[in-house]
Amino acid sequence: MAALRDGDFAALQILLKAPSKDAVRQLCQECFSSPPAALGPLAQRAGPGLAVSAEEAEQLVSALHNLTRHVVYRGLSRAEDILCLFPESFHQNLKNLLTKIILDNISAWRNEAQASQISLPRLVDMDWRVDIKTSSDSIVRMAVPTCLLQLKIQEDAALCGNNPVVSALTMELSKETLDTMLEGLGRIRDQLSAVANK
Amino acid sequence: SFLLLIVPCALKRNLSSEQVRADFIALGLSEEKASYFAEQWKVNSPTLTRLAVGQTLMINQLIDMEWKFGVTAGSSELEKVGSIFLQVNLPHHRVQLVGQLRNKLQPELTLPQFYSFLHEMERVKTSLESFS
Repeated sequence: MAALRDGDFAALQILLKAPSKDAVRQLCQECFSSPPAALGPLAQRAGPGLAVSAEEAEQLVSALHNLTRHVVYRGLSRAEDILCLFPESFHQNLKNLLTKIILDNISAWRNEAQASQISLPRLVDMDWRVDIKTSSDSIVRMAVPTCLLQLKIQEDAALCGNNPVVSALTMELSKETLDTMLEGLGRIRDQLSAVANK
Repeated sequence: SFLLLIVPCALKRNLSSEQVRADFIALGLSEEKASYFAEQWKVNSPTLTRLAVGQTLMINQLIDMEWKFGVTAGSSELEKVGSIFLQVNLPHHRVQLVGQLRNKLQPELTLPQFYSFLHEMERVKTSLESFS
């Protein structure tokens, strides 16, 4: 995550050339959501609309990315906290506009950051079935209930891009195994309640 | 040797102690010895049955469940997070063509997923109990 740099605020003033407030809003959202690697192409797309050079577009996009990400990182939620990030000399109206745009988007952006956190493989689905085993090669007649449990696990979404890898595994649980598992799950639930009640 | 053949066969065919006694007599054992064996069969067959059931094929048998839960304190994008995660590890046998591999599966669950999982497992338990 990049930190705010000195040159960033100077670059932000390029936004004064933006055709409309909506254009600024749109650019803020795109700059926040874009990963650092994709900022170059974004700058190329945004440049023409602002009538600035490629270099200026890059500086602006980078600055906007840093600013929005910084606010979300720090968890700033009040106008005063965001306003005081800007230097004294910064254009007043632009400062107010940017602050308003950020405040409007902050909770959606926070959710986006949380959703794209690195993580271990995630459980995405779970299905079960109870079968009764009636005979086998070792015993001709029995009536033993057993559970088949299928878990669908998705690898870290960030690593897979648009093609998440989902693997499914079907496991068998005897009644004893299930009882032990429920005991463990119950203990987790108790601990979670204890934590929640603190 | 001889007994090792008789017992599995009797189990497979679910023989009663009377049938076992009759079989032993037909094979040439004295009545006294046949009755003794039939009595032993009666006493031990529940255990033997349980063992035979235990040897029945299982698909990717779940061996254990390990878990940990904690709090995500922060990340590169969010200084303070404070969200709870639950990580579950489910070692299980996985039958391969050559030998057996012990494989691990370690998914992460959100809290709502955990409660849903617990609820489903309780439903499974009720179902299994109704068939026992």
